[in-house]
Amino acid sequence: MATQVTSAVLNPEGYRTITPDGAPPGRGASSGMAPRLDTLKGKTVYLVDTGFGGSGKFLDEMQSWFQEHMPAVKTVRRRKPGNVFRDDTKDLWLEIEEHGDAAILGVAG
Amino acid sequence: MAVATCSRTLEQEYGIPTAPVSTLEFAAVLADDRRFHGVPLRFTYTPHPVAGMTAAVLRKYIEGTDPASHRSVTDEIIEALTKPLGEDERADTYVPVTRTGVRQALLEPDTEDNLQRLFYERGWTDGLPIILPTEERVGHMLTGTTHAPDEVVGEIYLHDTREHLKFTVEMVAIVGVMAGARPEHLPVLLAVASTGQPSIPGSTTPFATMLLVNGPIRNEIEMNSGIGAFSPRALANSVIGRAWTLLSINWGYFRLRKQFWTSQGNPIGYNNMCVAENEERSPWEPFHAQKGYEAHESAVSLFRGWNFINNVVGSSRRSIGEDMFTQLRPLPGLFSAATLILDPLVARHLKHDEGFQTKLDFCRWLSLNFKMPAGEFWDNDLIDMLMGPVAIQGVEPYATWKKLPKDALIAPYDKPENMNIVVVGGETSPMWKVSDFSHTVSASVDKWRAKPLADGCADGSCGLPDEPSNGAH
Repeated sequence: MATQVTSAVLNPEGYRTITPDGAPPGRGASSGMAPRLDTLKGKTVYLVDTGFGGSGKFLDEMQSWFQEHMPAVKTVRRRKPGNVFRDDTKDLWLEIEEHGDAAILGVAG
Repeated sequence: MAVATCSRTLEQEYGIPTAPVSTLEFAAVLADDRRFHGVPLRFTYTPHPVAGMTAAVLRKYIEGTDPASHRSVTDEIIEALTKPLGEDERADTYVPVTRTGVRQALLEPDTEDNLQRLFYERGWTDGLPIILPTEERVGHMLTGTTHAPDEVVGEIYLHDTREHLKFTVEMVAIVGVMAGARPEHLPVLLAVASTGQPSIPGSTTPFATMLLVNGPIRNEIEMNSGIGAFSPRALANSVIGRAWTLLSINWGYFRLRKQFWTSQGNPIGYNNMCVAENEERSPWEPFHAQKGYEAHESAVSLFRGWNFINNVVGSSRRSIGEDMFTQLRPLPGLFSAATLILDPLVARHLKHDEGFQTKLDFCRWLSLNFKMPAGEFWDNDLIDMLMGPVAIQGVEPYATWKKLPKDALIAPYDKPENMNIVVVGGETSPMWKVSDFSHTVSASVDKWRAKPLADGCADGSCGLPDEPSNGAH
């Protein structure tokens, strides 16, 4: 015997926001990317560990790599203070702004 | 996401060029993040995972290729910082949003087998057969509350699409039917749903949850708080716990690699440790009363964590508290989070024989007396990840603990108010469970009831099984 049932709840796979071309919504305005450097030679690059497992060790190895292969680049290792899931520091960003030229951040995942 | 968020801040607010790095596993999430924010961060990807790898492996990652682009990792990082922005890196164009896929009120009639298959294949179930939510069944379920079917119960936030999705009383009722619940269970389901908390949060870790019910409703709906309360036996415990999972599924939290990331999962997710507190046999105030509810009110409380460790046969060679040290030690002790589930025999012994007048008294004793080496504490990766940066920030006592020699003893549960005690069990053995679960939220059940609490149930006695007579089998 055929049964008719109420359609299931809310599942966003069947009921979601999509754009006319099928892509999820974008909210971009301007890219806001910083100007790039001409070269890393003589520059200070901060290696910022955002706190996920293994990130610190990865950036330690990255620092060693720079020392071996690009000794003209000064590297500074830091760990982001505060909540590992949030951007909740200003002191570190101000330090990088004052003393640094670029930053490598990682590792997500 | 923190890597992307922090990189955007440095790029946009401080004018610092960045080279963010992620493992390949999160490339799709970061693509969504880019679409949403419109900032073309130059990510370099490594193989997954980074966590747990040796320095030698990580060095190979650095000297190897990006598995997404197949280009040298170091070349990409250097380019990310030095190559001028190209035309293809300009801001994404804003596209107006339209809603599609409006849900049908009813599915087309079909056989039970076909509909069961349809629900499963659409990802609306936990894999087990469901009770099909016919109009009649949903209508019957709705008699469990006086609230209108279209009343909004709450909303949830989906990180991948950045959507806030509202859900109604009827939607919760449908899930209740699917889980096998009865109308009298609906107020509990609505209370759980009103929190908007999923039973499995989006995390790669094996998160698990616990659903605790307090107050007269426990006995009215015949929840088990006694023998085998955590075992699959009582209908109310089973269907309410399952309904929370089905709610979470239909909120979208089980979509692979969008909201659902847990690498191995956790079997607790099948029922979410749905249980009632054995208030009648507990010597202490019930849990919801500790959270501001009156004892005669009914409430649900939700907990979240990873691990439960059982004491199996009690403790006759040392005190219960000292025995608990051995169970607390392997747990992370994250900001003092712990939940202890005590059999009433244990709870009454602690109060009447050892003098702990309140649950908090015992938590304070554990807080003061359980100690471990600072090195062992900080060597736990979860502690390092979540508490290490707080120590760096200078928050005490963690900042001081971080500076101690590895063998210096610390009392890691420094906040006894973050430790919870719940009394559950049937008094066949003086046992307990120790967990790293933290209490996340409590919510009123009474708000959602179909009718005021009957006088006869004010003491919570209605629904209790009859006392067994002598010789009962």
